[in-house]
Amino acid sequence: MINDPLTVITLIPILVSLALLILPKLSPSAEGLARASRAISMGVSLGMLAITTMIFFGEIGNVDWSNYNSGYYLTNDSIALIPSIGVHWKVGADALSFPMIWLTTLLIPISMLVEWDAKKGHLFHPLILMMEGALIGVFVSLDMFVFYAFWELTLVPMFFLIMIWGGEDRKYASMKFFIYTFTASVIMLIGILVMYLYTPDVASSGSVTGHSFDMSVMISSTEFIPSEGLRHLVWLLLLIGFATKMPSVPVHTWLPDAHVQAPTAGSMLLAGVMLKMGAYGFLRIAVAAFPESTVVFIPLLIFLGMASLFYGAWVCMGQTNLKRMVAYSSVSHMGLIFLGIATMQPLGIAGALFMMFAHGIISPLLFAVAGAFKHHYHTLEIGSMRGIAHHSPWLSAHMMLGWMASLGLPLLAGFVAEVTILIAFWMSFGWLVLLPTLTLIITAVYYLTSMQKTIFESNDPHHGILPDTLHGEEPRDITWHENAGMIILGALTILFGILPFIFWDMMSEWSSGFLLETLVQAMQSEGVKP
Amino acid sequence: MTSLGQLPLDSDTASSLLPETMMLAGLIAIVLIPNLGDAKFRIPLTSVRVPVLLGGSRFDLTNDPRMPNRISNITFLLAFLSSLVLISESPREVGGVLMADGFSRVFSTMFLAALLLVSVATTYRIPAKTNAQIPDDSDSEAAIDRKISVLIDNRRQVDFYILLIMVGLGMSMMTMATNLFMMIVCIELASLSTYVLVAFHKESPAGGEAGAKYFIVGSVASAIGIYGMSLLYLWSGSLDLDVLKESWQAMDGVDPFAAFGIGMMLVAFGFKVSAAPFHLAAPDAYSGAASPISGLLATASKAMGFVALFRVLVIITVPEGAEALWMVALGIFSVVTMTWGNLAALTSENPKRMLAYSSVAHAGYMLAAIAVVGSGISSTEESVVILTAVTFHLAVLVLFKLGAFLVISHLETEGKGHSIEHLHGLGNRDPMIAGSMFLFVLSLAGVPPLSGFLSKLLMINGIVSTSASTGSSDTSGIATWAESVDPLFWLATAIVLNSALSLFYYLRIGLVMFFEEPASSKPLKAAPSLRMAIFACAILTLLCGVGPVSEWLLDLVNGAIDSFMHQ
Repeated sequence: MINDPLTVITLIPILVSLALLILPKLSPSAEGLARASRAISMGVSLGMLAITTMIFFGEIGNVDWSNYNSGYYLTNDSIALIPSIGVHWKVGADALSFPMIWLTTLLIPISMLVEWDAKKGHLFHPLILMMEGALIGVFVSLDMFVFYAFWELTLVPMFFLIMIWGGEDRKYASMKFFIYTFTASVIMLIGILVMYLYTPDVASSGSVTGHSFDMSVMISSTEFIPSEGLRHLVWLLLLIGFATKMPSVPVHTWLPDAHVQAPTAGSMLLAGVMLKMGAYGFLRIAVAAFPESTVVFIPLLIFLGMASLFYGAWVCMGQTNLKRMVAYSSVSHMGLIFLGIATMQPLGIAGALFMMFAHGIISPLLFAVAGAFKHHYHTLEIGSMRGIAHHSPWLSAHMMLGWMASLGLPLLAGFVAEVTILIAFWMSFGWLVLLPTLTLIITAVYYLTSMQKTIFESNDPHHGILPDTLHGEEPRDITWHENAGMIILGALTILFGILPFIFWDMMSEWSSGFLLETLVQAMQSEGVKP
Repeated sequence: MTSLGQLPLDSDTASSLLPETMMLAGLIAIVLIPNLGDAKFRIPLTSVRVPVLLGGSRFDLTNDPRMPNRISNITFLLAFLSSLVLISESPREVGGVLMADGFSRVFSTMFLAALLLVSVATTYRIPAKTNAQIPDDSDSEAAIDRKISVLIDNRRQVDFYILLIMVGLGMSMMTMATNLFMMIVCIELASLSTYVLVAFHKESPAGGEAGAKYFIVGSVASAIGIYGMSLLYLWSGSLDLDVLKESWQAMDGVDPFAAFGIGMMLVAFGFKVSAAPFHLAAPDAYSGAASPISGLLATASKAMGFVALFRVLVIITVPEGAEALWMVALGIFSVVTMTWGNLAALTSENPKRMLAYSSVAHAGYMLAAIAVVGSGISSTEESVVILTAVTFHLAVLVLFKLGAFLVISHLETEGKGHSIEHLHGLGNRDPMIAGSMFLFVLSLAGVPPLSGFLSKLLMINGIVSTSASTGSSDTSGIATWAESVDPLFWLATAIVLNSALSLFYYLRIGLVMFFEEPASSKPLKAAPSLRMAIFACAILTLLCGVGPVSEWLLDLVNGAIDSFMHQ
């Protein structure tokens, strides 16, 4: 177990964070631990980043990503957790999960860095560390029970992050966040249980119930579910669970509230990784297990995708709150992921994967900017202040880079994802591609107008218009640690825009394999042109 | 066939009845020890005074109001441990009416664990004088000691623990009974003691009312059950379970005597497990009694009813490969019970009533599982899995249902706990207790990876794997499949839907604990023994859901049920 790096990067953060949270309470002699917890958390998270990066450079060339079924690497022998109902500790990573794991380990130290001087840091940083373990656990576990346990575990630190360090309405927001996502995951759990109850008999392995929670067994045995109607039903139950997490219209309403109230680091992780859990689970479980249902429900996916894309963008145009605008732009971009999957093209699915990654570095940058804006200008109103380029040149530079990347400027990471999804959409649905394309214009409209309002547009060339909330003080530019975090994210946005093939090759190989193994057959049987 | 009078008492028998013997010894000790004093008897015509110990002014040690509690704790601990050890012993028949085997020992261990927790948790619980003050943190050491000794009246303490040990004795003998008469006598021994325990707060109107209601309804139910038993006796001429089983199998058609007899016994047991529509006294009794006693009713007393159901329904009346007479009725009752329980719990403002109704709902889930055993389409192996699930559920229920009641009992130490408002802001006042409570309600709701999920999953799995193969594999749509599948499948659906419904009121407890502002921000009382019991429940709730402890417990239960079904 120790020499398996994936287990290490899952469990170490959780164990360390629990130790940091509990030990100081138990004995007064551990006071020093509480003072050092910020540094320890940062050290551990950097260690995790080093491990995943080493895996990345060490093994990436040796893996055949296109072999979908055995494309997992680093899987080891499973360890029985609850053999009586067939629960095992089994971890692995493939091209779908690996970029997400790396993204998680990358964003955790950056979000800690951005909120380096958070209040109650001895609790704040360990909670973020716990978040890291839970998120990685979701992406690496190949056992549905363990997956679900980690899926629920991610709620706990995020709930406390919003509840303790959030804005004025934090109580309402954290409660809404918890109730929404918890209800959705219980609905998803019903779907998972139906799948579980129809797995073939594996009583010989010591399971009292005769069933197994092994993800590959569950996914490959959905043919035993007796009727097509029931399969569609299970698929829809899973969709509700994953779409709420993503979130997609009409179950997105928790997101803007949670984002606006959450502390900066919480928003960064929420937008950067937690939303991707929905897309990840949808591809990993719902699409892989029920390819036929997915094919049947393509129109539903397109509808949900278009609705999210358009509604998110439309609402953004009317937003005056910076964080709320960025939150709705996330809803909008998540819609593109559904569209990419709905194309049933290798290119589209790879585009969706790249969207997950690109949005995972751009949206944390946007939230870091919004957080810094709130921190230094004490407001999030877009119109209340003009010409901040005079006062905070670094902040304005990051803001501009982030918004440009988010609206899909070529040579930045967001563009790669958007353009591949649109091409795949055109290949599948022809001129229907005009709908998402024209919607993307709205994205450009709201970003450019708010850019003009905030960064530039001031009558006095040497002074911007300062908001009332500053009470006449001169604003300062962002602190060094905020700046450092944003520079890393900005650099990665440019890097992956110019050199997308670092992850693109592996994603597109995986997508072709995935499509070939699961979807082509389903499309033929449903009479859809592959 | 020996009669009741000839109880052979050799050393082997004594060792297989060790827990009961210990409780008997504890009962004698708890009567004698607190009465020991310095009384002396002067031998007539001499000046020699012989100490007789009984009477006079009591010694400091025996005068200690905490003494009965200590004796009871030790008794239950020893009985629990010996019962646990005896699970793996080979079956032994005692006197023709008792059978000490793995099955009975699993249940008696479960009951004794519940009683041990109750006994430990009630250390500071029983204000005998209505004006007794509860010790405050601002008091000095001496003041605290003085208040505690007022709080705990020695003699009422003794009464309480005598009754508690009687409950234990009745329950653990009941698990072994292989004769209906013996079973009813043991159930009555336990029940009569619980009636008094429910009414133990006779000073408060709620306590008296609860006791009276529970006693009246309970004795009517028992009377009906005994009447049913007499009909069975008329019909077969014996009350031995084996004889009854043979007569039932040899029966041609359905004899009205037998059918009515069984039906009436179901009423009595239905009251014990608080199944609708015999559950109406339960919420009143639970809310009027002290919380640990309510917890005892919701766990051990309910499990006792299920043992009786196992013995009477599953052993006597399940025909090989055919539908049992009571299957449809039990299936319908189970759905009514769980739905009624959950709907009523949704609207409860009193956390004890809410837990009482949730206990009704849980009875419904387990009855649904038992209904499947009687359906005739489950093989013996499938029946074993289902009954294992029910037994496991009863066992872990002791942890999280009783644990939840103990948390309420902690609130009762400051005179609160009868309104959901008293839970407000518990998360601020005492994060550990509130966290434990949250764990308990999540486990009650069946959220993975807690033990409540494991047991519920096992039950649903048992029902589905029995019934799912009956559905048509026609791919034309869900409607055709839904029509063709065995109705039992819908019992599983009812459980799932009800669990989803129950989440609302369980999560509400969590929400008010962490979000609402407390009326006072004073931390809860220290009450170390009560805290210890709560934390033990919380830790075990987690451990019995995942990992080696859950495996061990499940193996234990599975082995016991396996031998029970194949005897």
